[in-house]
Amino acid sequence: MTKTINASGVGNPINRVEGHLKVMGMAKYASEFPVENKVYGQGINSTIAKGEIISIDTSEAEKLKGVLKVITYKNATKLKTFDEEMPELATDSIAPVLQSNKVHYYGEYVGLVVAETFEQAQYAASLVKFEYKKDPSAVIDFEKSKSKAYTPNNDSNYSRGNMEQGLSEADMVVEQTYNTPIEHHHPMELHAVIASWDNGKVTAYSSQQIVEDAIVAISGTFQIPKKDVRVISAFVGGGFGSKLNLDRHVIMAVMASKMVARPVQVTVTRTQMFTNTNMRQQNEQKMRIGSKKDGTLTALSHETLSHTSTTQEYQEPCGMVSKMLYKVANNEVTYKLIPMNIQTPFAMRAPGEATGSFALESAMDEMAWKLKMDPIDFRIKNDTQTDLHEERPFSSRLLVECLRIGADKFGWKDRKPEPRTNKKGNWLIGYGVSAASRNSPYQKTHAKVILELDEDKVFATIQMDATDIGTGSYTIIAQTASEYLKIPVEQVTVELGDSNFPITPGSGGSWGAASYCNGARAACENAIKTLKNNKNIAEDEEVEVAELLKKNQLTKFKAEGMAEPSAEFKKYSVFSFGANFCEVWVDKDTGMYRIERMVNVGAAGKILNPKTAYGQIIGGLTMGVGMVMAEKTRVEPNFGNFITRSFADYHVPVNLDLANIDVIFLPEVDKIANKMGIKGIGELGITSVAASITNAIFNATGKRMRSLPVTPEKLIEAGLEEGVTA
Amino acid sequence: MKDIDKWNEAVDSDNLSDDENMILDAMGLNESSRRKFLKQVSAASLSIYASSFFTSEIFASTMKDLPENTIALLNEVKVNLRVNDMVKPLTLDSRTSLLDALRERLALTGTKKGCDHGQCGACTVIIDGKRNLSCLTLAATCEGKEITTVEGLAKNGEMHPMQQAFLKHDGFQCGYCTPGQICSSLALLEEAKNGEASYVTEDFKKIKSGLTLSEEEIRERMSGNICRCGAYNNIVQAFKEVHTGDDEMPTWEFATQEQMDKAKNA
Amino acid sequence: MRPFKYTGAQNKDQALQAFTATSHYLGGGTNLVDLMKEDVERPDQLIDVNKLDYKKITSNENGGLTLGAMLSNSDTANHPEVRTKYPLLSMAMLSAASAQIRNMASNGGNLLQRTRCPYFFEVSMPCNKREPGSGCGALKGMNALHAIFGYSDSCIATNPSDMCVALAAIGATVEVQQPDGSSRMIEFTDFHRLPGDQPEKDTTLMQGELITAIHLPKPEFSDHYYYLKIRERSSYAFALVSVAAGLQVNSGVISKAGLAMGSVAHKPWKLSKAEEFLTGKKPTTENFEAAAALEMKDAKPFEGNKYKVEMGKNAIVRALTQAYEREV
Ligand SMILES: Cc1cc2nc3c(=O)[nH]c(=O)nc-3n(C[C@H](O)[C@H](O)[C@H](O)COP(=O)(O)OP(=O)(O)OC[C@H]3O[C@@H](n4cnc5c(N)ncnc54)[C@H](O)[C@@H]3O)c2cc1C
Ligand code: SF4
Ligand code: FES
Ligand code: FES
Repeated sequence: MTKTINASGVGNPINRVEGHLKVMGMAKYASEFPVENKVYGQGINSTIAKGEIISIDTSEAEKLKGVLKVITYKNATKLKTFDEEMPELATDSIAPVLQSNKVHYYGEYVGLVVAETFEQAQYAASLVKFEYKKDPSAVIDFEKSKSKAYTPNNDSNYSRGNMEQGLSEADMVVEQTYNTPIEHHHPMELHAVIASWDNGKVTAYSSQQIVEDAIVAISGTFQIPKKDVRVISAFVGGGFGSKLNLDRHVIMAVMASKMVARPVQVTVTRTQMFTNTNMRQQNEQKMRIGSKKDGTLTALSHETLSHTSTTQEYQEPCGMVSKMLYKVANNEVTYKLIPMNIQTPFAMRAPGEATGSFALESAMDEMAWKLKMDPIDFRIKNDTQTDLHEERPFSSRLLVECLRIGADKFGWKDRKPEPRTNKKGNWLIGYGVSAASRNSPYQKTHAKVILELDEDKVFATIQMDATDIGTGSYTIIAQTASEYLKIPVEQVTVELGDSNFPITPGSGGSWGAASYCNGARAACENAIKTLKNNKNIAEDEEVEVAELLKKNQLTKFKAEGMAEPSAEFKKYSVFSFGANFCEVWVDKDTGMYRIERMVNVGAAGKILNPKTAYGQIIGGLTMGVGMVMAEKTRVEPNFGNFITRSFADYHVPVNLDLANIDVIFLPEVDKIANKMGIKGIGELGITSVAASITNAIFNATGKRMRSLPVTPEKLIEAGLEEGVTA
Repeated sequence: MKDIDKWNEAVDSDNLSDDENMILDAMGLNESSRRKFLKQVSAASLSIYASSFFTSEIFASTMKDLPENTIALLNEVKVNLRVNDMVKPLTLDSRTSLLDALRERLALTGTKKGCDHGQCGACTVIIDGKRNLSCLTLAATCEGKEITTVEGLAKNGEMHPMQQAFLKHDGFQCGYCTPGQICSSLALLEEAKNGEASYVTEDFKKIKSGLTLSEEEIRERMSGNICRCGAYNNIVQAFKEVHTGDDEMPTWEFATQEQMDKAKNA
Repeated sequence: MRPFKYTGAQNKDQALQAFTATSHYLGGGTNLVDLMKEDVERPDQLIDVNKLDYKKITSNENGGLTLGAMLSNSDTANHPEVRTKYPLLSMAMLSAASAQIRNMASNGGNLLQRTRCPYFFEVSMPCNKREPGSGCGALKGMNALHAIFGYSDSCIATNPSDMCVALAAIGATVEVQQPDGSSRMIEFTDFHRLPGDQPEKDTTLMQGELITAIHLPKPEFSDHYYYLKIRERSSYAFALVSVAAGLQVNSGVISKAGLAMGSVAHKPWKLSKAEEFLTGKKPTTENFEAAAALEMKDAKPFEGNKYKVEMGKNAIVRALTQAYEREV
């Protein structure tokens, strides 16, 4: 069908269609569904890093009024456990819990108390007494355990050309190590579930990013058929990767419901969000870059040392950006993991890019400084339209445009190349830039459309098991339906987050928007096509959908659709690109600094709704600001617990930490990406923030901050970089 | 209810089903205000309400007194909780926070739990005109106090201007910090009117009521409400619109063809 | 949270009478309820003192002000008399926590807020303050936030209050009601104590004593004042180091200095040596630096908090400079 621009079709900055519910406090998140007769579960955490439980005393807890059950490994339902050693943690992994007396990390669940009230469940949990036998071999100190590192089973090491030769061809070499700490996603909504077990059938109102994978994980863990599991995740109070997979509190809730024959609500506490939902791992990234005097890169290597747990494996792909962002013939990317007695890390917003780009784009800035070259010119000099890693062209790559247009908007020409030369009172002022790239993996997606005719108006309902984690899914899907059915968006209903609806890949990895909208598009197109075919109407003939229903003598019609990457798609590398510019003011004495303004430019294909896309960008920038300013989870060196255990010690950005942000979208048409030309935007923002800020800090102060976060104490202790005049 | 026709008929004729009536009652809407509201809310979101499983469940935002489990209450206290102009006599465990009383006993789940320790602001409610954290407030201490939650802001079928501004400026993403942000914003309007100072106020000695807050002032004063989605800039914009009438929109733009050509050929 | 009995007191006598060894008075609850949720504080009775009539700000006989203990931090900081006469106190109070917490927090409760040492908060960790005799986890653990002055082997925690730093600089007196109904006055510098071998005791308050007022001396620093708070983010965070600086300058010479530091010791750290040094001197950078050096030379940092020495020095100089340069 040919498209007309509808007032609320794709591309328009309409308000979120579910927004009323949110501003009125009526959107229902997982723990808010009025499930009758529910009781409360409270998880109990281990207090040693490694060892065994040797005794448990539940008597005091069980004596309390209203306590229904204390579950530990001794009486827990038998669950499916891992078949192999160190399986990879994936979004649909099983989540066995309370299956043995072994403790693998501090904070691991060792029990659950179920009680009639929240207050009693919490209190009773503190009364269950565990006695442990500590195993002194616990690995809790990253620095001291490097010799234990192994090459990940999921071997992603890579090389092209000859690194050493590349370095020998270079006039200038930068060799530096960049550190990023453990970080936590901390969506504002605490992970929560209300689960009921009813004759082998499970219903879980659970805060999940991927409904289908939650089903797979629950059915796999309990070894029950998938069809007997229903997951509802209608509103999700933020995810950022932490709700990609199924966390163990959900399994405990289901188990508890089975045991007490009541629906059980489990809300993870903010402290448990550190130990029992996901986290980003600590990465030590060693970069080696070689360049000719004229700025031509000759060699680039990116070695990442991180950690995983002792039970499951996850490797953050930090080196990914170094394989594809610049034109360099000699390239090496390696990974090593230390199995540690802390929980398994997992994907956090832009896994790999956020941390990897910090290392790469810092090293690029260091090289530009050494070459006395403008950092933007240096990057442009090494631009490539071919993905040298995959050995195929980019479907569309507008990085150079991002850099140049951003530089104009930002006023880059006013930057003083020499650090410590731009001053105002007690402030040292600096400008910094970083490039961004993020893979746009679009995935197979199903959708259903229900058309209903009411006099001359058609009302459409789209159903998918997709989720809206704040990303705007409800809105852009409604806009898509409006566009392809050519009806006002007000006549579209979007129903998401229910496993009874058609399967989608869920929200994560920047694939949501492209997958959801193309799925919805396919369903709408199918509906129209079928209605036309039934009446022998040519497919390219313009007939309104209301007319079609009438011609078919239907008042109601349903169609399904499916979209998936084309064969053409697979011949290209499909990425979003961007650049971030930052002006930072550093107090010369106190180590405090403020981000004065930022300009962010993104080439992310079709912008479905600039209002919600802007939200995604500033959201990513805010999280990136957090990454630089303060976010760091610290492991206690003697006990192995996270010493940062609350929102009062893990500092995420507050309103005053942010500043003016100008966002520029490039008008990019990329029909190879998918029929609608959509790429991902949710992770593009965060990717370029960290290095743009630390590069600006260098420009302001002459101090190279290679270890995140850059806290006041670090800035005070840091010395000037060689070659900088004080 | 599943049936769109029925829904539309209901909307047109004010002939609502019990479920729908309950929904609108919950929002404090009656008669003419109900009509006005229905017109104002786009069908897109209304129909989210109307859809199968969403209906009664999503909409049960009316204040209820969920059955109490007296068997499990310790140190019972009786409190008449006055929330959004309605009074509920409750028997509670002395440990119950105002937040849990609202969410778990009155089904007023608009007020959110983000940390339960005073560290995020998601649970912000207005008590006797001032913003407070309901997670650190014991419900037992609330006898005789006037509590306003996000559910009590819409009046006569109109969203409060602050709610409208948040919607218009996209002052949220996931929506979880939003009720707290909105309650906080409303209290801040009053604080500015009263001429209260903040840490970033230049001079503490000059006291003026009816302050017009600078952007920095707004940011500092809204820093007790964390938004992990990072909607801060839009929140500031939404606040400004209600505070000063400045309705400047977020600063996004599309590059022009000219800019693109220039960049490409530089 | 452990079960407790809730007692709403209508007046002082009821509150004092209801008190038992295992009771706690309840102010705004922003510290106490938090710590009860963490199972750190374990009272079996809470005596709500919020209805008590100590909510006024009045002039006192010294020409200063008396602040009611049950008045909220925000009402205190924004009181016209406090803002004009003790802007240093307003500024320090407004730097703390968030607007919501300041609305809840009482002046009495603020004086008694407990340390933010993470070992203190986590009941599975050793901590002499929480559980005397269990050891100090921070001593050989993570001590970036800990004391550089006045600590002992048994505890190296800091007092986190901003308000108290300003009160130390200004010089205040705390009035308390004793269980027998009589009242007593405690000099502010004597109110908080150093840990010694009794780190479980933060203050010199006796069991059952109720704080009713804070008396301020006649205002001296209403022209030259600054509260500098260095922290990890720009708002809603405790200080890494803070400095309250008040100066009285006459004809280009400092006639009186009020100086105290926060987050460096078990109590608000009064900088008496620097105050004395500055008195009678010119408000110059050199003198500010000398004053700072004089204080910081006594600092004994740990592995994790060495930065506090340099940061502290810079902070003192900056706070004094800002205080002096403030346009009158
Ligand atoms: C997230 C967060 C951030 C914070 N940030 C800061 C900050 O940056 N700077 C800062 O200074 N503070 C900060 N605070 C602490 C806050 O200022 C204190 O919690 C508050 O001042 C305590 O006052 P309250 O009335 O709530 O005390 P409560 O919690 O009610 O009581 C504290 C203690 O005092 C006792 N008590 C209370 N009133 C009396 C009385 N009249 N007589 C005798 N005993 C009494 C109680 O029994 C209890 O032991 C923060 C708090 C939180 C939760
Ligand atoms: S420093 Fe004090 S509060 Fe902290 S662990 Fe040691 S004894 Fe406890
Ligand atoms: S839930 Fe109350 S402040 Fe976070
Ligand atoms: S909108 Fe998600 S936390 Fe603010």
